[in-house]
Amino acid sequence: MYEGIRSPVIHTPKTLNEFATIAHRYPQAVIWGGGTYLMSRKDYYPSEIKDGIINLGELDELKRITRNDRFVEIGAMVTASQLLYAGKLVLPEILQKTLQSQASQIVRRQTTIGGSLCVPDIRLGLSTTLAILDANAEVKYYQGGKTTTHWIPIAKLYDKSGNLLLGPQKALLTRIRIGLEYGDFQRFIIVEDPIRNTDECVIVAFQATRAQNTISKVQFCTTFPNKAYHISKDLVSKLSGQTLPIHPERVNTLSYELVSELRKMQGAISELQLERARRIFESFLHELNAQTFSS
Amino acid sequence: MKIECTIDGKALSLSVNSNKPLSLILMEDVGIKSINSHCRGNACGNCIVLLNDEATLSCVIPAFRLKDATVKTFDSYQKTRLYRDIERAYKATGNTPCPNCYASKTLIIESILQEMTNSTRTRTFGRNNLSLPGTQNEDNSLNKEAIIQELSLNTCQCMDMAELLQIVEIALTYRRRKRVRRH
Repeated sequence: MYEGIRSPVIHTPKTLNEFATIAHRYPQAVIWGGGTYLMSRKDYYPSEIKDGIINLGELDELKRITRNDRFVEIGAMVTASQLLYAGKLVLPEILQKTLQSQASQIVRRQTTIGGSLCVPDIRLGLSTTLAILDANAEVKYYQGGKTTTHWIPIAKLYDKSGNLLLGPQKALLTRIRIGLEYGDFQRFIIVEDPIRNTDECVIVAFQATRAQNTISKVQFCTTFPNKAYHISKDLVSKLSGQTLPIHPERVNTLSYELVSELRKMQGAISELQLERARRIFESFLHELNAQTFSS
Repeated sequence: MKIECTIDGKALSLSVNSNKPLSLILMEDVGIKSINSHCRGNACGNCIVLLNDEATLSCVIPAFRLKDATVKTFDSYQKTRLYRDIERAYKATGNTPCPNCYASKTLIIESILQEMTNSTRTRTFGRNNLSLPGTQNEDNSLNKEAIIQELSLNTCQCMDMAELLQIVEIALTYRRRKRVRRH
């Protein structure tokens, strides 16, 4: 049926040095992690792939999960399913929830952490949660025969519309690092399926530390899969140091501030998504209030 | 690209494009009848196969990942004893999926049953245990949310989720009984 199409060459590096050699030699080659995103593109097959495919499946260096007293490092080729299996000792609870809600078990076995973060145009739950956990990604750039390594905060990997900002040169996200100091109030909510119902989906992650009726270290990220990736620095600074309980009117005002911020920055977000984001944000603050009363 | 793999118990040497999706290989090169859709990214969930005994969407598996793999489609799965548990559950509830999604839904249910009855296998493969705490705890309640998440991978609307859950529950009872008898 597709006789005219040339079969792409598959490069399978076993070490990062081998990968670097291949990446320098074939700059147009497609980097292949789990393949779930690439293969779900409508134009994936039949199509011409110029420099072939670099299959990361045999790079053992990218399949490790390591933990010490200060942080957890997760290789880019660890699958969502393997990471979940690593359990509570390694992962913050919010990250487990995120991975569980991301897709069904059948899909989780395929999706890799690196792949989920490097999807060029759609932001999913993982990038939202990792942003509030202050995670960093190790990115290796391959240009002009040289390899350089940079640690980039996850929040800075994307622009306001959620597009990946790794630059035009060949880059490989090799691992992510998550600090083990995180807040005692963590919430993650996803409404609608981000793949099947992209236009109505809202993803919100929130984290804060409560101490003596005040909240601090607030981190908050709202994502609209193919429209926006929003971290409100203004709201975060307004909430940090806030005394609990927060007056319901203030909660209302803050939530509408979020809506107006989103409206100003990203016009494509629908009213339904804005209202959903607002209510989710409000619910987090009300929950914080409720916990203050009960303690 | 030449790929050697086993499909439905037959050792095959296929000459296909290295990036061709497994669903298309099965439909066009092997002539499997139980797979009838290649949704091209619509996430229809109608192309489930067992790849190395794990349920997988065959439309997201490229040919180059099939090297030395074992693929089992519904065509061969329906000849196994495992299938009888699910078939009996269909009969017991009086609900059967439509012909379009029958194969996929059955394989998804099989994957759920395997996860719930085979915890050691789960550990071996380093997979998350479907977050089905009911299977590990003393009480036999099912984590319906996790099961619904699995079942909703197939988008065919021919059956109600409550009906599917009932089928899973009944099939699980049959499977557990069978295991007890065997032991």
